[in-house]
Amino acid sequence: MKTPFRLAEHPRRALPPLSRPPAGYFEQMPTRLMAQVAAPAQRPGPLAWLLPAPASLRTGLASTLLLGTFAASLWLGGAPLSRPAAPVTSLDAVPQAQLVDYLTNGETHLDMQDLAELPTRHLGLTRQYLRASSDELTEALDAQAAEEAALL
Amino acid sequence: MEDHEILAKFCEPASRNLAFNQLVRKYQQKVYWHVRKMVVDHADADDLTQDVFVKVWKNLENFRQDAQLFTWIYRIATNECLSFLQSKRRKFFLPLNDVGAELLAKMEADPAIAGDEIELKLQRAILRLPDKQRLVFNLRYYDEMPYEQMAEVTGTSVGALKASYHHAARKIEEYVTKADNPAASPDAAD
Repeated sequence: MKTPFRLAEHPRRALPPLSRPPAGYFEQMPTRLMAQVAAPAQRPGPLAWLLPAPASLRTGLASTLLLGTFAASLWLGGAPLSRPAAPVTSLDAVPQAQLVDYLTNGETHLDMQDLAELPTRHLGLTRQYLRASSDELTEALDAQAAEEAALL
Repeated sequence: MEDHEILAKFCEPASRNLAFNQLVRKYQQKVYWHVRKMVVDHADADDLTQDVFVKVWKNLENFRQDAQLFTWIYRIATNECLSFLQSKRRKFFLPLNDVGAELLAKMEADPAIAGDEIELKLQRAILRLPDKQRLVFNLRYYDEMPYEQMAEVTGTSVGALKASYHHAARKIEEYVTKADNPAASPDAAD
């Protein structure tokens, strides 16, 4: 059996038996390093002006930025990206003939007289489909007054 | 140039580059070989050595002279090496032995490796040690660094360092002895 290996008896080397770095490696390293450290120093970052600012100012700015981000995310998250069009606006896009046809022939049980009683805000439909002259309207109103009087 | 001269010149903007250049020239070989012994591969050692000196450049102004400059640089280099090996292990989910095996494979694949058979066995044994134990062994065995200085570099007590070196040396002796004896498996040295 061989004698046990003893580190103390083994000739000590200054370096392990690894390959040496390429020729000129250590001569070039200072130049490479200087190029590496000098480049960022010549091009200050966009927030470089903050570095000499006092710590309280930096903390204040960071807090404002954080709050601003929070408020923006809240606003963007809470508000719908596009508001749905109002119902009347949407109906304006439908051709009036199609609208009248739907209202009078469908299951809505409306007739031309009902359409004549549309709110005054949207007189277009009333004027188009009532098709009555002012005399006819006057007569109709007079007749209505008589009927109402009869009901009393 | 003495360390205190380098530090004084570094603090003056006009002579900062010159001082840093002198510092790199003075310590680059020691830093490189300290790193190289830990990571084996030249390309990795090159990257890490540059990272070390970039950190030195960024922090030298704040260096407190209660420690030696070289000890401080060694400490940065040591932390860089341990972080590198740790990140490698984490990145590839490697157990301890696999990183050692990878380092060993790199060493054996190196065509320019120099050394006799017993020296290669010694290296194989060293590369099987855990990272921190290997670091302690390298500092003591190759660099012959005093334990007090090692304590500053590693942030560990002198007693713990002596114990760590003793355990490392015993493991290495067992491994090399068993590797010399074909009847016994060197793996049993763990």
